[in-house]
Amino acid sequence: MHIPDGFLSGRIWLSLDALSSVTVLYAARRLRVQASGHTVPLMGVLSAFVFAAQLLNFPVLGGTSGHLVGSALLAVLLGPLAAFLTMVTVLIAQALFLQDGGLAALGANIFNIAAVPVLSGYGIFRLAGGTQSHGRRLAIASFLSGWVSIELCALCCALELSLSGAIPLRVGLPAMTGYHAILGVAEGILTSSVLVFLSHTRPDLIRRGAGSRLPVADWVAVVALVAVPCAILVLAGSSNLPDPLQRLLASADPVYGRQGESEPFLSPLRYREFLRALTLIAGAIGSAYFLGRLMRGKRSKL
Amino acid sequence: MRHNFIDRYANLDSPLHVLEARTKILGYLSLIAALLLMPGRNDVVLLVYAFVAAILVGASQVPLGYIVGRSLVILPFVLLAGIAAPWTNSFDGARFMALATRSFLSVTILLLMTSTTPFPELLRGLQKLGCPRILILNLGFLYRYLFVLTEEVLRMRQARDCRRAGRAPPRVELKLLGSMLGSLVLRSFERAERMYQAMLSRGYAGEFPVLAPRRFTWRDLTFLAGIALLIVSSFRYAGR
Repeated sequence: MHIPDGFLSGRIWLSLDALSSVTVLYAARRLRVQASGHTVPLMGVLSAFVFAAQLLNFPVLGGTSGHLVGSALLAVLLGPLAAFLTMVTVLIAQALFLQDGGLAALGANIFNIAAVPVLSGYGIFRLAGGTQSHGRRLAIASFLSGWVSIELCALCCALELSLSGAIPLRVGLPAMTGYHAILGVAEGILTSSVLVFLSHTRPDLIRRGAGSRLPVADWVAVVALVAVPCAILVLAGSSNLPDPLQRLLASADPVYGRQGESEPFLSPLRYREFLRALTLIAGAIGSAYFLGRLMRGKRSKL
Repeated sequence: MRHNFIDRYANLDSPLHVLEARTKILGYLSLIAALLLMPGRNDVVLLVYAFVAAILVGASQVPLGYIVGRSLVILPFVLLAGIAAPWTNSFDGARFMALATRSFLSVTILLLMTSTTPFPELLRGLQKLGCPRILILNLGFLYRYLFVLTEEVLRMRQARDCRRAGRAPPRVELKLLGSMLGSLVLRSFERAERMYQAMLSRGYAGEFPVLAPRRFTWRDLTFLAGIALLIVSSFRYAGR
């Protein structure tokens, strides 16, 4: 689930943006050392594949529909570093083209949908012994990696939303993890059936992806980049201290801080004034739109 | 088949379309950041931002229905937050409305950025701002092959729908979807091999050239100065 802008507090989205950009820069640097030229078009086409595969919906519960996320699948096919960057590409494209997820919340979405599921999916697949296996073993390992990756993704999303104070954990956690437990089953079945299909038709593809394993240095970097900031974030989010950034912004003036006392400009309680103000505002915004509409560029020759 | 949904309005002619990509990325990004970091509940400041966004939407000449329709993607989240609201310790209608307004305004600004800039120019701007080259290349490939693969998916879906009546039980349905995705992966791999051969034979050396890029002019400077003025004055007002 992509988080839009406005639902995360400044502390959360700024720190996750910083964390994700460091992770992306690190992965891009490592990949440049490892990858052959062949990988570049492969990653590009597979990111287009994930984008297109998400058009194939299947019905879930009560009229909603789900689609493949593909992090675990890519992690097995491409190896974790290239899969991470491919998912980042997909997320940027979704934010820009489909407005799935906000621009400021991009770091949070990269963390939830690219970093966590790719690494957990890859780790589970390796742990369950999927790398050199066939048939049943492969199916079980890939099902597990798909399910766990989706569930962790939902867990991170619920945690961030509750740390921001948008959706409390009591509601968000059961709703998100419960719904995604069902979606995760579908993701697991899809991941395993794609991989089993490929192991019958082109077994070399799976061997190649699983062969590009993470060296120890990268595992250490992953722990440093993901786990430590996570712990800090959770500790900072649960403390009662005021948001350091907002305090910095407010330190210019000591009066800010008693924000609750001032009467809000628009209050639904004073009904008639509220309606009148709402009409005025709608009129003002509408006339601003038409004012802007009058500004035309000079016609280009093309 | 429906195509060209990505930057459909990016080749119009308006005061916003002539700006350079870097200007728009920086300007809109700082506008969104300022909107989200605004301390307190300043309804007046939110209204000023809504006013500015309305002027910009008008100036961009992009159809209003498109902007409004696309910005409705945030609705599920707003609904979820609304359903969860009674469980919070202190339900606060004004706070909830401010949250929804902020979210809606940021989506509108994001839409303005993507619908006034052709995607190759946006990529070039991102690259000049220091985005890693491999991401830029990836996004370029995605933009180029998205339509090809989408068409392939739609063809496969049509073929599947022609060959069956109604829906199968979920297990069978998912298995079917799995084989479809599997063969899509295979076709993607094979396409990537062909692309790489074609790129090499045309002298690919790690860069894709861009034709006739826009330049940074006084217009861009004016736009950025205006946005900086707005942000600084709104923060001064909000802190008061």
